Amino acid sequence: MSIDMSQFYQVFFEESEEHLAAMESLLLALDVAHPDAEQLNAIFRAAHSIKGSAGTFGFSDLAETTHILENLLDRIRKGDLALRPEMVDACLQAGDVLHSMLDAHQGRGSVDQAAVDALCQRLRQLSDGSKAVPAVVAAIPEPAPVVTDIAASMATRTCYEIGFVPTAQAVSGVGLGNLLDELRKLGELEIVQRPLPEGSIGQWLLRLTTAAARDSFADQVDFVAESGAWYVGEAEPAAADDADFGIFADAPGAPPVEAYGFFEPLPVQKPAEEDPGYGFFEPLPAVVEAPPVAEGGDGFGFFTPLSTPSVVAEIPASEAAVGTKSLPSAANGEARQKAPPANAANDSSIRVSVEKVDQLINLVGELVITQAMLLQTSSQMLDAAPERLVTGLAQLERNTRDLQEAVMSIRMLPISFVFSRFPRVIRDLSAKLGKQVELKTMGETTELDKGLIERIADPLTHLIRNSLDHGIESPERRIAAGKSPVGTITLKAYHQGGNIVIEVGDDGAGLPRDKILAKARERGLPVSDQMSDQEVFNLIFEAGFSTAEQVTDVSGRGVGMDVVRRNIQSMGGRVEIDSMAGIGTRMTVRLPLTLAILDGMSVAVGDQIYILPLSYVLESLQPTPGEIRTLSNQARVVQVRGEYLPVLVLHEMFKLQSVWNDFTQGIMVVLDADGIRVALFVDALLGQHQVVIKSLEANYRKVPGISGATIMGDGHVALILDVSAIATMARNHLHKADAGPLRSE
Amino acid sequence: MEITKQQAGALAEDDSVASEFLTFTLGCEEYAIDILKVQEIRSYETPTLIANAPPFIKGVVNLRGTIVPIVDLRIKFNLGKIEYTPFTVVVILNIARRVIGVVVDSVSDVLSLTSSQIRPAPDFSGSFDTRYILGLASVEQRMLIVTDIERLMSSADMELVEAAVE
Repeated sequence: MSIDMSQFYQVFFEESEEHLAAMESLLLALDVAHPDAEQLNAIFRAAHSIKGSAGTFGFSDLAETTHILENLLDRIRKGDLALRPEMVDACLQAGDVLHSMLDAHQGRGSVDQAAVDALCQRLRQLSDGSKAVPAVVAAIPEPAPVVTDIAASMATRTCYEIGFVPTAQAVSGVGLGNLLDELRKLGELEIVQRPLPEGSIGQWLLRLTTAAARDSFADQVDFVAESGAWYVGEAEPAAADDADFGIFADAPGAPPVEAYGFFEPLPVQKPAEEDPGYGFFEPLPAVVEAPPVAEGGDGFGFFTPLSTPSVVAEIPASEAAVGTKSLPSAANGEARQKAPPANAANDSSIRVSVEKVDQLINLVGELVITQAMLLQTSSQMLDAAPERLVTGLAQLERNTRDLQEAVMSIRMLPISFVFSRFPRVIRDLSAKLGKQVELKTMGETTELDKGLIERIADPLTHLIRNSLDHGIESPERRIAAGKSPVGTITLKAYHQGGNIVIEVGDDGAGLPRDKILAKARERGLPVSDQMSDQEVFNLIFEAGFSTAEQVTDVSGRGVGMDVVRRNIQSMGGRVEIDSMAGIGTRMTVRLPLTLAILDGMSVAVGDQIYILPLSYVLESLQPTPGEIRTLSNQARVVQVRGEYLPVLVLHEMFKLQSVWNDFTQGIMVVLDADGIRVALFVDALLGQHQVVIKSLEANYRKVPGISGATIMGDGHVALILDVSAIATMARNHLHKADAGPLRSE
Repeated sequence: MEITKQQAGALAEDDSVASEFLTFTLGCEEYAIDILKVQEIRSYETPTLIANAPPFIKGVVNLRGTIVPIVDLRIKFNLGKIEYTPFTVVVILNIARRVIGVVVDSVSDVLSLTSSQIRPAPDFSGSFDTRYILGLASVEQRMLIVTDIERLMSSADMELVEAAVE
């Protein structure tokens, strides 16, 4: 029976992303000089879980890379290797590579194979590197005293027994030959047993006498061997006897208990020397009980048989290896059972599709409308309403409101989900730019909608990169300016009214007003020295605007800030800049609490009501007769404080009947649509609301100029205008428009 | 054509099993549609206009929190008098995972029709394409036009669906 694994892929991708994120934040939090054993273990477990599930789902590239990473991590956590900053870097890099692999498997982007190979090489080098530094060993309680024995035994030449069953691929290809060559380079290699005839698949038994560490070739063996069907044991050259080494269970005639894989080799030496051999349990997918002939059971203890050979079982298996190590004489299984599977200890939560949550939110929305309707009906009854009905309805109102809040909170996530990626960004960038930067975050628990969380990450990253590159000065300049050489970037999130506010602040040089103005003139933008600071700073959001003296690969190309503003506007938010020369800059992003709610201004055109997203509205005015002029009797412009703005007439575009016959009777709403200012002519302004966005496309199709619909308080539908689309439509429209029915003056 | 044949075939397979149809009138013509496509029947309320939409798309209404487009089939097929009274009826259809409201003159009744009662329609050209007609049925001297409402509503003619399936 075969199970279609692909149905679980999404879960695997999500889980792996989470593990990677956890790994990254742990790595960043790690104190290199005094690593915390618990943190090291947590990092290892994250890598291990990814490897395990990647293997299960057949993503071999992921599994292989994680395996190499895991080897390094394992040696670090056991204290074989002292943690060094470059190891942290390599691990972070590995995280990135794994991320790109995950993306590639999900059909986004591709994997740079060269980078993967280089990384694997680097990781191998690191894990082959110097032996344990006793100081670190002492700092880590878990691996017990045996570690020093390893160091001692490694110093001399050791004889290893290597047994494996190669894959068909390795036998037919060059894999097997390469392995033998590699091993010969390391020391004396003796082939004890090989399958005959040449080229057939079967058990190999090698004996290698070398000064190299076990880990330096174990990976290669693992690579060539059938998954898990290999071991590397230590043997005294003289005592070597096949019978002492346990039996491989790959043979078809093996007894049933052995069918999972193979037996661990039996120890042939004194317990103290066996210890290094424990490491080889780790890659085993499942370990079964030692055969009765095993005298060494007292030395190793034995593993409880695992019911399935699935890779998930690896977690207990490897934990068990650790457990055994701290209790060398333990033959009981209980010692191992204390090691829980990696994710069992996490806080309990369930995965629910966003669709279901949205459905719930919609239902509650309907409940609120019904409740409001009932309340209205009872208030119309005045005194005729029975008191119990009135109290009951008041109770219902409270309950529905609580219910609505609770349901909305399901979609809410703390902003720390976004903030947590920035320590990494800052670490990498500040190193690249030679700047010293400290990141301060505040209000990480502020919650906002999941949809917003996903979409705010990119603009925020951009703002932070910008602050780092342009805001914070180099240490020398900072000292010259009398500041601390370490710059500070502050990330702050809080609620204000119905909005969430995210501030990205730096204590750098501030925005150079003169330079921005000069640059703007150079680019032919309409600027004057009388412009307020706010207006000048907003120029940096113009497309292609950059005052960076030199273009770096970090920023300075002038693409970006305009994209940042557009992204934030598309979420119904806006950005503001405050800056003081020499003191710093602060970018303030204001967003609605959820994507489903929009701050809107309702306007009337004829008998219809439309909603304008407030984030696009600059001001509104009633034009006086002389302010509206025509250009070549076609396009109309309105003069707003010295500037001529194109006029869009909504009722003409939507073929409605205006209640006015003169422009001076209606209202001009000045809109900023992606940097283009236009004046929209409407009949009247009605008010300002928070509206719930409903999709028009669910049951209908996309309508040009309309971004969605909403339900007004009276139950009627009002359409939400798509300001940027209208501005574009108007441009095309203006070309063919004739003078129109209204008098222009 | 494929689908029509298949459906006709499916009907023919089981002659004895009757399907239920909702019948409504447009002008003096009587139509029947599969009752399983009907979600509910409501009275007409003034919809919100959609800019630059064809005249038979009256706009959208709020149906308990869902935005539902309203189509006036009388305008589309040039039948009957186009007037909206408190007795004007909107049939809310549930088609291809969409909810669509259709304005009709009046809803008559629900009938059981077996496939043997549904005769193939003669091929004629007109505003109402025969592709959307499953057949004609006569019940007590009335002629019912049995319509493939799903196919009709998701066609490009109705301009209700972004990329109409033909």
